[in-house]
Amino acid sequence: MKRTLTVCPYCGTGCMFYLVSDGGKLVGVEPSVTHPVSRGGLCVKGWNAFAFVHHPERLTTPLVRRDGVLQPASWDEALDLVVTGLQAVQEKHGSDAVMFASSAKATNEENYLLMKLARAVFGTNNIDHCARLCHSSTVTGLAETFGSGAMTNSISCIDETDVILVIGSNTTEQHPLIGSRILNAVQNGTGLIVADNRRIRLARHAALHLRHKNGSDVALLNGIMHVIIAEGLVDEEFVATRTENYAAQAAAVAEWTPEKAAAATGLEAGEIVAAARLFAGAKRAMILYSMGITQHSHGVDNVRCVAALAMLTGNVGRPGTGVNPLRGQNNVQGGCDMGALPDLYSGYQKVADPLVRDRFARAWGVPSLPAAPGLPLTRAMNAASEGRLQALFVMGENPMLSDPDQGHARKVLEGLELLVVQDIFLTETAALADIVLPAACYAEKEGTFTNTERRVQRARKAVESPGTARADWEIICDIALRAGYRGMCYHDPREVMDEIASLTPLYGGIAYDRLDPHGLQWPCPDRNHPGTPLLHLEHFTRGLGHFSPARYRLPAELPDDRYPFVLTTGRTYFHWHTGSMTRRSHLLDREEPRSFIEIHPDDAARLGVRDHDRLQVASRRGEVQTEARVTTMVVPGVLFMPFHFAEGAANALTNNALDPESSIPEFKVCAVRVERVP
Amino acid sequence: MKILHPAQLNNFIERLAKAWEVRLPVLLPDGTRVIGSPGDGPPALHGGAVMGKPTSAFFPHHGTLFTSDGGKLEGPQNPDLPLFVLGFTPRDLACLRFIDRFFADGLCDDVYFRRRNNALVAGLSGLCGPGGIMIPPAGGGCDLEFFCDGSCWLVIPYSDGGREVSAGLSDPALPTSVELFRQAALSQPDEQEELLRRASELLRADRVPDHFWAEIGDRCIACTGCNLACPTCTCFGVQDWRSAQKTERSRMWDSCQLDGFMREASGHNPLGSEALRSRRRIHHKLAADPEKWGEISCFLCGRCDAVCPTGIGMVAVAREMVARFG
Repeated sequence: MKRTLTVCPYCGTGCMFYLVSDGGKLVGVEPSVTHPVSRGGLCVKGWNAFAFVHHPERLTTPLVRRDGVLQPASWDEALDLVVTGLQAVQEKHGSDAVMFASSAKATNEENYLLMKLARAVFGTNNIDHCARLCHSSTVTGLAETFGSGAMTNSISCIDETDVILVIGSNTTEQHPLIGSRILNAVQNGTGLIVADNRRIRLARHAALHLRHKNGSDVALLNGIMHVIIAEGLVDEEFVATRTENYAAQAAAVAEWTPEKAAAATGLEAGEIVAAARLFAGAKRAMILYSMGITQHSHGVDNVRCVAALAMLTGNVGRPGTGVNPLRGQNNVQGGCDMGALPDLYSGYQKVADPLVRDRFARAWGVPSLPAAPGLPLTRAMNAASEGRLQALFVMGENPMLSDPDQGHARKVLEGLELLVVQDIFLTETAALADIVLPAACYAEKEGTFTNTERRVQRARKAVESPGTARADWEIICDIALRAGYRGMCYHDPREVMDEIASLTPLYGGIAYDRLDPHGLQWPCPDRNHPGTPLLHLEHFTRGLGHFSPARYRLPAELPDDRYPFVLTTGRTYFHWHTGSMTRRSHLLDREEPRSFIEIHPDDAARLGVRDHDRLQVASRRGEVQTEARVTTMVVPGVLFMPFHFAEGAANALTNNALDPESSIPEFKVCAVRVERVP
Repeated sequence: MKILHPAQLNNFIERLAKAWEVRLPVLLPDGTRVIGSPGDGPPALHGGAVMGKPTSAFFPHHGTLFTSDGGKLEGPQNPDLPLFVLGFTPRDLACLRFIDRFFADGLCDDVYFRRRNNALVAGLSGLCGPGGIMIPPAGGGCDLEFFCDGSCWLVIPYSDGGREVSAGLSDPALPTSVELFRQAALSQPDEQEELLRRASELLRADRVPDHFWAEIGDRCIACTGCNLACPTCTCFGVQDWRSAQKTERSRMWDSCQLDGFMREASGHNPLGSEALRSRRRIHHKLAADPEKWGEISCFLCGRCDAVCPTGIGMVAVAREMVARFG
């Protein structure tokens, strides 16, 4: 028997547990009792995090497509084909004809290395990862208003606050150990406002449940801010000393009377007034949000409004307050921190800045680095369909299920000159690849993950990877070497982290010998720094907090006669994203074995639909069949569908309408019609 | 009775490990205490009941039931060495006794008894509870018991196996008995046992209304930790993994807090809400098991209350139930 302390591979909460192994096989999980976030508990996915690791469908050997069929190959053959294939595309079409998709499931070290491979070895800034699909609006919106696109506070602040506003986050299902902390706070007297038109578990405990129309967050938040200003509830000292551009904000919300906001959101004016009074009346109030805010064609505007509400009420820079975007994947914070983004190096250092570029070029031993920002992932599909992108290297992502408008995604992926996928299972995307590289999963490698509260934690190897599968970092370094680059030879991920620390001020004091047992929170600029639980204490990262007023815009696609329902998408408690791990975990898959769609009983009755009926759901982009779940979780006129399932894929329906600034797709609103399958 | 000085503990464990697969409370790198292998960390006998099911040595979180290779069935391998498991508090021993009865009932669970038979179980009591408080001795129900007298471990064998493994230890300087401690504890009313008894009566008299369970259910995030930490929860799920070479059937701890646990093939679920499932969890231990087994099957080990992220473990729920309806 052996116990290995590591980080849960699922959400961004960053719970730590011990993997229990016996004879080289995982046989269970035990929570870490002392961990500051999980505190001896886990959610159902955490308790089952060992269950997929030895699944017989794990990839064990490289695969190369020959005569149209993926066939086993040696590592030498597969990696040489990767390198020559990428180089051939670049010779023919230019450096920016290749793109690298990194992974929020990979470690910090691996994200850093893939970013380095793209930039230093293949000379392109075309590197991005799935943060584009979840919190790119946060990175843009909070960087502009606060100077830092991450949770301002720590999870423990939930214990210290008086009022919590949860907007667009189904926290008990998507960040269960954070959600449970909210439930405990409410039991102890904390006021809870839930703004989400699904009747999520938290709503059952809320003092106010605001079921506003999908996509009307700017109207709701502007309405709340209007009331706060009109009723003299502004924290004037904070606004005067810590912020700028307040006059513009006040002017922008002046027209958003409760009545006008009510008309736009579908709420009662009184609900908006009550929310404003409850939030602004609290000594300490904190905002938690997630995809319900970010995944809109106006996601950055939503984030701007959230930031403004916190500044208006002086709820930044103190315990029990703050703007707290809950990051989805276990390392989506780290993926962003490491610069797996088209415009940023690690630590949010801009590629457009010649001084920064020069520093990285010297450290990496290359004459120059590309200056123009690369492609965001969500624009890659269009670039490929226009011929500007010819090769895609995907590490640990499954865009066939996770990208909007699946039909388009499939066409584009099939049309590429070269598609390389590095993953642990033959995902729907890997099945289309020319070359498949088998990777080690989280339990089979060393590295670090950064959780939603900026806590950098050690992940450890508990068992060997199956067959000849290798850790992502080893594969990336091998590719670099075969491409003729000698600056990526490391004994272990520890050495990679040392390099990261040397180039990344936010991580300057992060080193493996400092991370036991439960990590450090960035910014951590030097080896003596204790880490930073709270951001923006005396001043904002950018100096003064910047009010950045937002104009209300409707979602890109609204219901009409042909497509009369709003479809909103998301995750369920029991599955993770495209299901490659959880659908191979027996108990988790048993809980949610198939695709479903939530429909309100009134709509169901009108359409003659009963619980469990097969339904045909169609949008302008595609159609799928799924199973009806008749429930008051949703309001009439709105349908909810999870995106985990290849059969009945929600993203066959969704709209690739992008926020103009963050390029995030509008997963939360599109128009569909639905009918019972005869 | 024998005596073991703390300084002798490591040698004692090393000697045992030659003939036994030893499990004992150890301290893991982040301060978590579990019943683990000696190599997992330094022995940590003080601190009371450990995290995790102490019974997992015999009924692991995940384990193979059999493999089928070309039609040939093979059961799981027997352990190379019999198990020696130290770390059961008296309450844990009650849990073990209960699941021994469960797994032996009817069709005896061969996979469980492959590990349980021939195993030696060692209890832990005395001044080794949380903060050094007294855990009254079990006085039996195990092969031997380690009783902390404040400076040494008194090792009390109750079976031939217990006598055999403790034979090499010294005798105490003076004749000693821990029976007085046990009697003293028995003479004291146990507030939590009384609480459970009253909660059990309320349930059996059907005096707990549905809305109470709806409130408890609303606070359940279905993490399943209560079941997965409980030493008397024995439910398991079964999966088959097929590869080109073989099929492997294994079982893993399951939870009655999951919808799929009772869902029928039609999709209908007689326990289709968190309220019903929460009621079932408590009702099973406090009302159904007394009917079937003649005793409440919660022995107040405290693990579900410790592991539950939202504070609805057994004692918390019983306390609320009795306060409101008792």
